[in-house]
Amino acid sequence: MKLIISNVSGVPIYEQIKQQVKSAILSGVLQEEEALPSLRTLAKDLKISVLTVTRAYTELEEEGFVKNVQGRGCFVMGRGSELIREQLICKVESGLSEAIDAAQMADLSPQELHHLLDILWEGKKNG
Amino acid sequence: MNDTLKAARLDFALIKPYMKNICFTMALPVAIAAINRSLMTGVSFAMCLIAMTAGYPFSVSEKSGMDRLYGILPISKKHLVFGRYLYTCSTGLLAFLFSMIVHPLVLRALGEIIQPAEIYLAAVLGVFMFTLYTVFQLPGYYRFGFINGKIFMYIPVVGFLAVILFLSKLVGTSNPIFVSLIGNPIISVIAVLLVCIIAYLLSVIMSIKIVRRKEI
Amino acid sequence: MDNFLEVSNLSKSFPGFQLQNISFSLPKGYIMGLIGPNGSGKTTTIKLILNMLKRDHGEIKIMGLDNITDEIEAKANVGVVYDANCFCDEWTVAQAETAVSIFYKNWDKNRFSELLKRFHIAPTKKVKELSKGMQMKLMIACAFSYDAKLLILDEPTSGLDPVSRDELLKILSEYIEDGEHSVLFSTHITGDLERAADYITYINYGNLFFSGCKDEFVELFRIVKGGRDELTLNLSGKLIGIRSFSTGFEALIRSEDWKLFRHLDVEPATIDDIVVFTNQEGDRDE
Repeated sequence: MKLIISNVSGVPIYEQIKQQVKSAILSGVLQEEEALPSLRTLAKDLKISVLTVTRAYTELEEEGFVKNVQGRGCFVMGRGSELIREQLICKVESGLSEAIDAAQMADLSPQELHHLLDILWEGKKNG
Repeated sequence: MNDTLKAARLDFALIKPYMKNICFTMALPVAIAAINRSLMTGVSFAMCLIAMTAGYPFSVSEKSGMDRLYGILPISKKHLVFGRYLYTCSTGLLAFLFSMIVHPLVLRALGEIIQPAEIYLAAVLGVFMFTLYTVFQLPGYYRFGFINGKIFMYIPVVGFLAVILFLSKLVGTSNPIFVSLIGNPIISVIAVLLVCIIAYLLSVIMSIKIVRRKEI
Repeated sequence: MDNFLEVSNLSKSFPGFQLQNISFSLPKGYIMGLIGPNGSGKTTTIKLILNMLKRDHGEIKIMGLDNITDEIEAKANVGVVYDANCFCDEWTVAQAETAVSIFYKNWDKNRFSELLKRFHIAPTKKVKELSKGMQMKLMIACAFSYDAKLLILDEPTSGLDPVSRDELLKILSEYIEDGEHSVLFSTHITGDLERAADYITYINYGNLFFSGCKDEFVELFRIVKGGRDELTLNLSGKLIGIRSFSTGFEALIRSEDWKLFRHLDVEPATIDDIVVFTNQEGDRDE
């Protein structure tokens, strides 16, 4: 797993770790039952505070992505990637319903909205 | 290893770079003894010179700011002081042995006949001079630092001159007490050693008190 | 024994300076930064911990041992790194080892020579000929050779180039990696601590300003920036420290007040910001 900490992003370091671990789980780089880097080793490697890593791992555990086994380390939960998917689908739903609201105000037909979505999708896909 | 020994070893490590100088100064009294044709003068001069080097560890440790190292080491202040006294006495002992062996040999080579009484007197005087010089110096360095504490080195100089004067008069007048002292080596050795031991005890106690109170 | 260092209600008076009621504790396995401007009492605190100064009040425990009654035992577990060489100038590195190693029962000769190799220090070199960074590393090598559990560094980074400072941080993070060692690190160059420190103890002119988690410390404050006319009387009362200039101002506020400044530019504060702005207040009070 790649973990890179930015000093200028303004995002707190523990948040950066969380986000990167989450995306690694989602993309399958981190598999179920796989161990996260040890807390203290990660702190050493990134030259950051142990407490910062602790916070990131604790919050990941609270959110149900990883499981902390006392004395053995942190492991990716089986339903971790599902959970993230669920979260993402929720996000898609809320985004889409917002789009539908706007479409109704603009008097767009569902077909036109579909069409719009297709165009945007293609556009994104092609960069 | 005993803590006092460790501290003394640290002091020897401190003066290691100056060891040559110290050894070299031991050559001068040999010349003095030869010129004056007197064992007593040679030995007591040697003991005074070596006593003057008692300030070396203070000087070196001050120059290098080593108080901070003493602050880290797992050793009590008391043992550091003991160690320094042990170091000082060891240098004294080495100088004593050296002069008591070399000086008579040189004088003999020059054709002098040395009386046993003279050897005896030289030894007692040497030990006494060394004690006199060091017991004031060490607490002085602990209290006032190397530069200012140096004054304490000169306190006994006055005493030294007085003692020499006193002794030379005694030798001349063949004072009964003196004669009995010379005549009874055991009593005189005990008397001088006792004075030296008491002086060192007081000096050590004083130094420990000073060091304990001192803030680095 | 969870705390490797516990300082409670520590006080010490000098003519013209007082260290008052300093309390903090450093848990096993973490790095604590001791910060504050020059003359704020960092070195005094460290000297009190090492019993080089006599405290007036309070208590200090090193790995559960009293720093005065159990001084020898406690010090056998403590390593110290000063801002400059504390060995005899004339010693070579090897002589320094001989002199110091006799005081530690568990001195590991092999480890020392390994560390010298790693730090590129030649044993034959005279101590005074080493660069500042090398002298610092020599002191670290000594502390590691008797496996000091608590490492105390007094302004180790002043006068060090950025490469050496980075190396030091690397060494320290490795040192605490096993969770069995702790570091107390005094510095006025707070950038060094921004990432690596777990805890911060901030002493300001002899008074304890804060002691706790670094993240918590940093999150207590925000920096706000704006034009001079945007600073109403009401708002200026909420500022901890301010720097104003012809085109605007920059100030430190408590995080809880940030909503009052919502219309302005509010950013996270760095440790440096906090130290600089809180010291302005000190000047204003005098």
